[in-house]
Amino acid sequence: MDAAHPRSTARVGINPIHPMLVHFPIVLFTGALITDLAYWRTADMMWADFSAWLLTIGVITGVLAAIAGLIDFIANPLIRAQRAAWLHLVGNVVAMVLAVVNAFVHTRDAWTSVVPTGVILSAVVVIILLFTGWLGGSLVYRHGVGVAN
Amino acid sequence: MPSHPSAIGSRRFASFSFAGALVLAVAACSDNGGDPSAQVGPNPNLPPLQQYLIPPMHVAKIVGWQKDEKPSVAQGLQVQAFATGLEHPRSLYVLPNGDVLVVESKSPDVQPIRRPKDLVMGWIESMATSGGSNTQESNRITLLRDANGDGVPETRSVFLDHLSSPFGVALVGNDLYVANTDSIVRYPYKPGDTKISAPGTPLLPLPGGPIDHHWTKSLLASQDGSRLYVGVGSNSNITENGLEAEKNRAAIWEVDRASGRWRIFASGLRNPNGLSWEPQSGALWTVVNERDELGPDLVPDYLTSVRDGGFYGWPYSYWGQHIDPRVQPQRPDLVAKAIVPDYSLSSHVAPLGLAFDTGNSLPANYHGGAFVGEHGSWNRQELNGYKVVFVPFSDGRPSGKAQDVVTGFLNSNGEARGRPVGLAIDKSGALLIADDVGNTVWRVTAAGGSS
Repeated sequence: MDAAHPRSTARVGINPIHPMLVHFPIVLFTGALITDLAYWRTADMMWADFSAWLLTIGVITGVLAAIAGLIDFIANPLIRAQRAAWLHLVGNVVAMVLAVVNAFVHTRDAWTSVVPTGVILSAVVVIILLFTGWLGGSLVYRHGVGVAN
Repeated sequence: MPSHPSAIGSRRFASFSFAGALVLAVAACSDNGGDPSAQVGPNPNLPPLQQYLIPPMHVAKIVGWQKDEKPSVAQGLQVQAFATGLEHPRSLYVLPNGDVLVVESKSPDVQPIRRPKDLVMGWIESMATSGGSNTQESNRITLLRDANGDGVPETRSVFLDHLSSPFGVALVGNDLYVANTDSIVRYPYKPGDTKISAPGTPLLPLPGGPIDHHWTKSLLASQDGSRLYVGVGSNSNITENGLEAEKNRAAIWEVDRASGRWRIFASGLRNPNGLSWEPQSGALWTVVNERDELGPDLVPDYLTSVRDGGFYGWPYSYWGQHIDPRVQPQRPDLVAKAIVPDYSLSSHVAPLGLAFDTGNSLPANYHGGAFVGEHGSWNRQELNGYKVVFVPFSDGRPSGKAQDVVTGFLNSNGEARGRPVGLAIDKSGALLIADDVGNTVWRVTAAGGSS
């Protein structure tokens, strides 16, 4: 093997925190897209209520994941040297800002809490997360970020 | 007109700043709305509707009445506290012998949290004390007797206790009806009673929990005593708790007093309160709280006559045929027949009390007109309402611009010393005002008069 893997700074033992947390916002925001689509088709408020919870908790866990990720990014120049890390960061910041806006769109009452703005934002966030999630995978599985030597 | 621009512009809900994002800060800077007085009358200007990330919110901070403070009244009137130290007094009823019943009520205990927003809105409502404090005795009716008419009750007693978020009261003969949030209950009453200890007899259930968004049930007996009319408010701002939760709500019910059978008398009335008979025409009138979160000048709350079988728009449309895009599926058939209300009181004033001046002791210009108790706004930056206004009537219809009659519920810093709710005309013809923040009943009489 060539150079040592870039170390994670925010970790428990040797396991980095960021990859433990990212599943929550990714799954919650994906769930919100599904429940938004269900509300759009049924007008049953139960689905819109689910979306509001999924988005709110998605934002909270997303902020926690972002903190861990930012610590890794800022503390290690080897990570900052990766182009994929920059794209991963910028993409996820955009996704989080849109998700926060979306959470507020979902505080509206009834139909316009979802249709059309809410469901469009939910879809855009999921599309961005597909891209940034792939980049995150590249950082770990190709560049070995946070992987023990 | 409440106008304290210095205090109002500076205050915003700090708790929303957690969002942090610049986008939201920009979104929160909504406009302050126009001059509310321009919206008062039969043909209010309706601006285009707006939808928000964070709707404008401003509830007057509660400071209470300091010693010797009292509301201001229009020229020719004077005001005194009739009773103080009450617990969230919300409505008033005058018995034939002149005794005054003060309904002290708090909101039903548990409101389900269906989504994150409900946590925030619950907190805002507690700021406005529209639900009452949870620590004090309430949900009772207090009787006040001022036999010598000097404006100071000699007798004060707990008339009925342990009620279930009561609001409306109506007496027919010796039957006293109390509209709890979830039922109408009949009690035996004899003239002169200061306390009822007999158990009540349920007449019929009303839509209550588990969701019970607009919980005040206004009550009015027909002039012949055969029927009761009940105001049943909607279970949401605008159907966000689902259409099923709105069954038989946003309506005025007509109840047959003998059998308890009922029907929907009129519908599409989001939160009707203060049901009253207009003295000249004998028609049923009500004040209605309209929907929120469409802008500082939408939707006007109103005063209207109520037609048998009439539909007034909620939730599908407002002020006639203006569609509300938040409601799906829409009902064009109902929107087409939505009646335009008679008289706009301007947006977000929250009218909860209505009393026609049927007495003879207030100045002549008030005779036959309507007093309206405006609890006050939360959904606009510039506060609106927080006062009692007078709408002149002639030939059974509103006949002019509403005038401020009792103001000063806000101090010069825009803080709430009190908030008016239910109104009544007492036996002497004076105007009584229930103040649920000041925990006071105010009594307004002609200036210079002995009573």
